[in-house]
Amino acid sequence: MSTAAADFGLGLRPEHYQEIAASPGRVSWFEALSENYMVPGGSPLHWLDRIRRDYPMALHGVSLSIGSIDPLDSRYLDDLKALADRVQPMWVSDHLCFTGLRGLNMHDLLPLPYTEEALNHVSERVMRVQDRLGRRLVLENVSSYVTYAASELSEWDFIAELSRRADCEILLDVNNVYVSAFNHEFDALQFLCAMPRERVRQFHLAGHTHKGSHIIDTHDHPIVPDVWALYAEAVKLFPGVPTMIERDAEIPPYEELLAELDTARVIAAGVRREAAE
Amino acid sequence: MSTNTGSNTGSLGNLQRAFQDYLLVSSDALHAAVRDTRKADRVTLLDVYRDGYALRLIEVLANDYPGLMAMAGPADFDHVARAYITAHPSRLPSVRWFGKDLADFMDKTAPYNKAPAAVEMVRFEWALGEAFDSADVTPISADALMALPPEAWETLAFTPLPSLRRCIFAFEVAQAWQRRDEIEPGNLEVARAAEPVTWAIWRPERVSSFRSLETDETAMLDALIAGRAFPELCEAVAPFSGDDQAPARAAGLLRAWVEGGMIASFRY
Repeated sequence: MSTAAADFGLGLRPEHYQEIAASPGRVSWFEALSENYMVPGGSPLHWLDRIRRDYPMALHGVSLSIGSIDPLDSRYLDDLKALADRVQPMWVSDHLCFTGLRGLNMHDLLPLPYTEEALNHVSERVMRVQDRLGRRLVLENVSSYVTYAASELSEWDFIAELSRRADCEILLDVNNVYVSAFNHEFDALQFLCAMPRERVRQFHLAGHTHKGSHIIDTHDHPIVPDVWALYAEAVKLFPGVPTMIERDAEIPPYEELLAELDTARVIAAGVRREAAE
Repeated sequence: MSTNTGSNTGSLGNLQRAFQDYLLVSSDALHAAVRDTRKADRVTLLDVYRDGYALRLIEVLANDYPGLMAMAGPADFDHVARAYITAHPSRLPSVRWFGKDLADFMDKTAPYNKAPAAVEMVRFEWALGEAFDSADVTPISADALMALPPEAWETLAFTPLPSLRRCIFAFEVAQAWQRRDEIEPGNLEVARAAEPVTWAIWRPERVSSFRSLETDETAMLDALIAGRAFPELCEAVAPFSGDDQAPARAAGLLRAWVEGGMIASFRY
């Protein structure tokens, strides 16, 4: 299995399996969606194993539901642990959200209120998940569309404090910071500056859909210039953090995503040059 | 099995219950818990979640059931998908399994149960999907059987691939499914078969296969799956082929299954 250093990666999507396997080395690493590979066998696991031979990988989940008031799903954690044993990922990530309760899954990243109660609840669960997986968990800030009246903390203070209390790491989704900053009218740079430098493990970049009065995190468009500009700020603040581009709908040709990844490389190199001068 | 968190579920719990109810039953209890912004009112913002919930699951079903989409067209597909989403909210971590009960739901629910061909199409497509990512087992080869000593055949029994499914269809859904991309959605017609036919669906390597079975083949495959030894497999086809021809017919069918990658292992 490849364990080379990771810098610029892409999401592993079935539309690109064959091209990835046929042209190794054009991407440093891949992020695989955990739930897509929690199956008994067949083509998904074949390609996962095949591509893992050539590339480092991270596992990225959507159903941990770390903030839910439901009990943690033991079976899900067993399956995730088994997948991590198989893939030997660089890290395992999911989202700071809840996805359902009463045994149901809404298959959406529903936002948490930023309260002391939620902070205590999530911190305790993160620590138990980390014990179960035998590794630190990496949690991603989500795009959100509603502001709760009950929130007592800013999102950035909540995430920073959570990472310290639970000793977990942060997947800093730059597009999500941009989307939430627009939707909730906060300063995106203030969010970035509040992240504990040593705990930011990975960046996400993605496109979104602007509805005028709000922005929806759709992952179906190229990354917009404003998000690239915010990414440059993130690279300045957190040098050397691996970057990955997500595309989950309207999946373009592999070459198009490679070109978008080259843009990230150029921006990061520019930031490095500026810092060296 | 789950582990109890023992955590406080006071206001956090109330908020989460209100949010989920907003998505599932259009309860408005959540309105008081969220704020308008200067650019958008809270209902517009909350409906990003409610609209997204339904659209995401409809897309999952459309990916799982392209044959049903080809038969029903987008409007009718949307109708049955929304009814199913309401009746069967997801209980599993992966959307991969969300559509599992669609055939049973349609079979039991008016007006969808007035379209038995559509119900059969859904059963066929779910079986294909199950075969697609079932457990990996390398099928045995014909050479391995040829090398067996003659006396082994007296007790020889087989295990089929874990992906093997049998379905009985009164309509020609498998044939129609192969035309699903050739027609405008909503225009796929599925003829009634002259009589119900058993179909085998399995995945020998990474691509799912399917084909119809002859009547005697169905009887013999049932016996094989039940773990019967080869002489009993011959007895299963004898009523159709006659006692004299039964061993040759059984051997021919067995060879076709082995060469088709349908058999996982044998024992004697």
